[in-house]
Formats: sequence, C-alpha cells, structure tokens
Amino acid sequence: MKWPSLGAIASVAYKEFLHIYRDRRVLVLLVILPPLLTLIFGHAFEASEMTSVPALLIDRDGTPRAQSFIDIVLKNKTFQWRKQSPGATDESDLLGHGVWAALVIPPGWSESLTNGDPKPLPLYLDGSDTNTATQLEGSIQQSVGDFQMKERDSMIETLPEEVLELGRKLPVHIRKQFVSLMTAWTVDGRILYNPKTRFIDYVVPGIIGLILQLLTVTLMACTIARERESGTLYQLMVTSLERGEIVIGKILPYLAVSICLIVIVSLVGSWHFQVRFYQPLALALICLLFLLCSLGLGLIISAFSRNQTEAIQFSVFFLLPVFVLSGAFAPLEQLPQAIRYVSELFPLTHFCRAFRLVNMYHASARFYIVDLVVLLAGALITFIGAAFLLKRIEQ
Amino acid sequence: MTEPVIVLNHLSKSFGAVNAVQDLSFTIAPGTIFGFLGANGAGKTTTMRMLCGLVHPTSGKATIASYDVWKDRHLARTKFGYVAQRFSLYRDLTVLENFRFFGGACRVPGPELEERIERLLGLTDLEEQRNTSAGSLSGGTRQLLALGCALVHNPPLLFLDEPTSGLDPVHRQQIWNLLYDLSNQGKTIFVTTHYMDEAERCTEVGFIESGGLLAKASPRSLKASFRARLLEIDVEPLMPALVRLRAIPELLGVSLRSGSLRLYAPDPEKLIATWHESWPFPDLRLLGERWVQPDMEDVFTAYSQGYDAVLKRSTS
Repeated sequence: MKWPSLGAIASVAYKEFLHIYRDRRVLVLLVILPPLLTLIFGHAFEASEMTSVPALLIDRDGTPRAQSFIDIVLKNKTFQWRKQSPGATDESDLLGHGVWAALVIPPGWSESLTNGDPKPLPLYLDGSDTNTATQLEGSIQQSVGDFQMKERDSMIETLPEEVLELGRKLPVHIRKQFVSLMTAWTVDGRILYNPKTRFIDYVVPGIIGLILQLLTVTLMACTIARERESGTLYQLMVTSLERGEIVIGKILPYLAVSICLIVIVSLVGSWHFQVRFYQPLALALICLLFLLCSLGLGLIISAFSRNQTEAIQFSVFFLLPVFVLSGAFAPLEQLPQAIRYVSELFPLTHFCRAFRLVNMYHASARFYIVDLVVLLAGALITFIGAAFLLKRIEQ
Repeated sequence: MTEPVIVLNHLSKSFGAVNAVQDLSFTIAPGTIFGFLGANGAGKTTTMRMLCGLVHPTSGKATIASYDVWKDRHLARTKFGYVAQRFSLYRDLTVLENFRFFGGACRVPGPELEERIERLLGLTDLEEQRNTSAGSLSGGTRQLLALGCALVHNPPLLFLDEPTSGLDPVHRQQIWNLLYDLSNQGKTIFVTTHYMDEAERCTEVGFIESGGLLAKASPRSLKASFRARLLEIDVEPLMPALVRLRAIPELLGVSLRSGSLRLYAPDPEKLIATWHESWPFPDLRLLGERWVQPDMEDVFTAYSQGYDAVLKRSTS
C-alpha cells in the first residue's frame, strides 16, 4: 500500500466537512446539544445530599421532653416534616401519606428514658431505592445522638452537690477517664481528592465522555452508510483514493468537530460549575485517545451497516450498555465483579477513570498509563478493523 | 492494429449459485464506442463493475491498458472514468465542489485541476450552474455533471452504465453529442443501453444474454447477420392478427412497428407465396406487404429471443 497522500486526504476531509456544514440539523444539534446537556446533567447530579425529604412525625408521648426532641428533629434539613395527630395508626402507609419516612415517638418514651430502659423510636423507611433508606436512617440517628448529648449536659448541670463531692474523692486518673467517657468521641475527617465533595467534579468526565461518545459514534456511523445508501461509495472507490486515505479523510473533520465540543463542554463546566481542570495537556491526551477510539467504533459500525437506519440502530445497541456500565455517573465498584469485566471493554470506562485520576487525584502518569494504553489499543484495533471491513465491501 | 484498451479473458462472476457473467472473452480497440446491450439482469452491470474493479471476478481476468482490473485496480482506475447507473455524486455539494472533490480524489494537481474544471464546465454546459447543489439539478444536467466528473482526470476510457435512461430526447441527444466529441478526441467509450437507436450510434455493439456474449460486431455487420429477409405486412384488424400470427409454427416471432407487423420467419418467401395462394385467416384482411431492412431492434430481438433460424451465426 502506498503512503497516503495529503492532498487526497484533504479532498476527502473537505468534502466531509461540507457534508456536516450543509446538514443544518446536525450542525444545530452539534452547537446546542453539548452545552445544553452539560447544564442539564451538571445540575441534575449537583446535589449529592438529600434535602427536604417528605416525612411524617407522630408524637404519642406528648411530654415536654418529647417536644424538646422534636425541636431538634425539626432542625434536621434532610427532612420536610409533617406532624400527624397521635391517634393515627396508619403510619406504615408511607405511599398513602406521600412520604419517604415516618418517625413515631411511642407513648411513655420520656418515662422510659428516665427509668433507665430507653424505648427505641419506631422508624419506617421507603426501601424501594436502595441508597436512600440507609442515608435517611443515619440522619435520624444523628438527631437522636444530638438529643442524647443535650440531655446528658442538662443532667450534669443539675447534679446535686453530694454527687459532685463524691466525684472529687475519686482518683484523678479515674476522674479523667470518666470525663473522657462523658465527651463524644469523634473522628477528624479530611476529605481528599474532592475536598468540597462536589459531585459535579466527579461527574464532569462522565458528561464529556457521554456527549462525545453519543455524537461521534452516531455521526461517524452514518458517514460510510450514507455513501452506500446514496450509491456514492462506488463512485468514491473508482477514484484513485486508497482505503486509508478515505478513512483518515473521513475521521479528520469529525475529530475537529469533537475537539470543539470538548472545548465547549469544558468552558461550560469551568464558567458555570467552577470545575477546575488540572494538567490540561494530560487531559487533552486522554480526550484525544478516547475520541479516536469512539470514531473508530463509529467507523466499524458504518462499515457493516447497509444504510443509515441500520447504522443508527447498531449505534444505539452499542451505546446503551456503555451508558449504564461505564461508571460515568456512579462508581464502577458498585457493580458486581463479573459485570466489571464487561465494563473494562468500553472506552468510556477507561476515559472516565483516567480523567478522574488526573483531575481529582492529581495522580502521576503511572496510575493511568494502563487506561491510556487500552484506549490507544482500542483506537488501533477499531481503525484496522474498519479498514478490513471496508476491504470486504469491494468484493 | 493498435493494442486493445480492454481485454476480457474468460471473465466469470457468480453470486452463490447464480452465474451472473460466464466466460466472457473479447477485446475493445481504442477509439471505439462500444455499446453493451442485453436485457435487465443479463450481466451488463456486473461486467462493467468487474472492469471497474468494484467486484472481483470469480474466474478469468480482464485488463485495462494492460493493468489487471482487480490486482492492479488502483493503476487501472487512472485510465478510466465511470458513470454509474444511479446518480451517484454528492447531492449536498455544488457542481464546482463535486468537480473539485473528484479531481482531488483522482490526484489532479491544483492549478491544472482548476483549468480542467473550467473546460469541463464549458463542455457540459454547466457554467451557469457551477454554484448550484447537485441535488437540485434536473435529471439531464445531473447526468452531464456525472459525465464531467468522470472526465476530471482526463482518462482515455469512459464507462457509462445506462447514461441516458429516463432522460428526455433533448438531453439524450446532448449526452450523445458529448460522447461523439470525446470519441473524436480518441477516447474509448464503453456504454450500456436499452435504447436501440443508441445502439445504432455505437461503432461496435455486443449482445449479452444470461451472462454470455451472443454477438459482437459493428451495427452494420450485425444487421447483415440476418440471413432471412424481413417481411412486413399490413393486416386488419391489427391486434387479433398479431395474436393469431404469433401462434403459427412458420413464424418465430412477430413484432408491431408503426402499424405494420414485422415477421421473423426462417423462410419468408415461401410463406408469402403460400399466403398469396390461400390466405388462411378468413376474418383478417391482408392489405399489403413489403420487404424491409432489419434494424438494431430486430437484431436484438432475434439474438435475445434465440431466433437462430433467421440469423447467420456470426463469429465475433
């Protein structure tokens, strides 16, 4: 095979660019969709903590002590509380009340605290969504803890003088141990890699990757299929163009368009969401390899689709599992091990991982070199595969 | 005798069990306008696609300007232009952009390309439509554009697959005038067609049927290959006569031409003598008869219907 000629590649690339430019609908899609999707996805995944969850509160105790607990519970911003009369008995009907949780203060609760046999507070939780129930329970638990701390403080303040006198007679080290036990023990949490725990910082590669994958694969998949559909493929093949020149020429304009898309999405991310981009060169390299991989995949789909309809169908079949299993919006570690092997096959998985390693972990290259190699291999395999499939067309 | 431009040597192509082209061998000399005739599905397009290197031959080989059409297809492609049956240029590109793209794809150097495009725009009468998108051109102008684009690398040979099908007579005339000009410049033209009047315009005609070559000669010698003379009769009423005459064993076939019936009979002299003695159809009236020269349609009908008894088996 001859070395590809730049002039011939430029002819194909310019023609392909004209196709994109003339197809106004696609052009509008390219200009509007990426920033719009960035805004929507960015805001959709912005708040990782739940607030104002509708919840039911039933006080069957009715004592001032229960009221003081309720005051603390009402300050919990996770919930939007609605009080129910003590007589109601249908607290477990969460769906009927339109709430996600119901907390009951049972009768005699206040007394049970005084008697040294504290009754547990019944809490009903909607477990249909596996993540929220535990999160809500934790939040209530924290309110209970706050109340307990307050009760203890007030008890210490009102201790009679004799008890304090007795306490002073204890050996110093026992007294110190006692004080320590009476203080809440804490951890000093230091959150690394995403100190502000902003979900947007985590999800930004997911958004970039998703948009790029969506647009590049589908657009690229249509290019050769369109030529086949309109009969221009034969005309193209009787010119002296080599297969490599056709492939490179077709890829270049889409590569340029995709790079513009990355810039647009990044700008929206940094201006609107204040996302910082660390080591832009490394990120650019990751993006480039991922793009080549996506374009190659699109090209493969294009080479075996007989028309554009088929090309779009194949693209959707490919993209659907990618969106769910690539770890773009949730950590891969949540998936079972067997599924994770499948995830490793998708370029988006490696793109998101490498991107996060650079942008969040500020990791050195040795941590993500494997992902880069996988992306590079993917690009090579898809291009060679596409060239091979194109050869078959000629038979 | 100069070297032939196209040489087919036992060229065959089968798609699964279907033999689209079988054992085709012939040559075409430079400067020829070769008309390739055959019914739909006879193998015309497959043969042309094999010659263009778009379909690889199952067996046999063919060369264009001594390049193998499959193994050296990239070299062979510099020697010919191809106009497909379906309009297959880029509809969203303008006339000029189509020219530039195909010029670039055929590696015509920039300055030379611009000069050549101007000349081709003049030749195809598309100067005023240079900035019109190809999709909005009329059928005839589209075909002229396709022809122009096929000529952008100035090839010595041109393949045209039914270039005038569906065109009005004016555009057909325009295309053929262009082909004459090109032939006059020494280019070889390989054209498939269904129109018999177009076959008359070729310098050489080949008949293909079921993937095999039936005859290949100049239109004049093909017409001379009619062994029997052709009898044309006027009968009334016409349609019942056509139906009745088709059924009689002395006739291979009957065709209707401008109100008269043309009879393909192995021995027409004997037939008309018998009819003069006693006309066998009391309900039909024989108004007159005359002897006519066969035209290309007669030749095509005779070859494709296998009326061997009226033909001298010509050697191609």
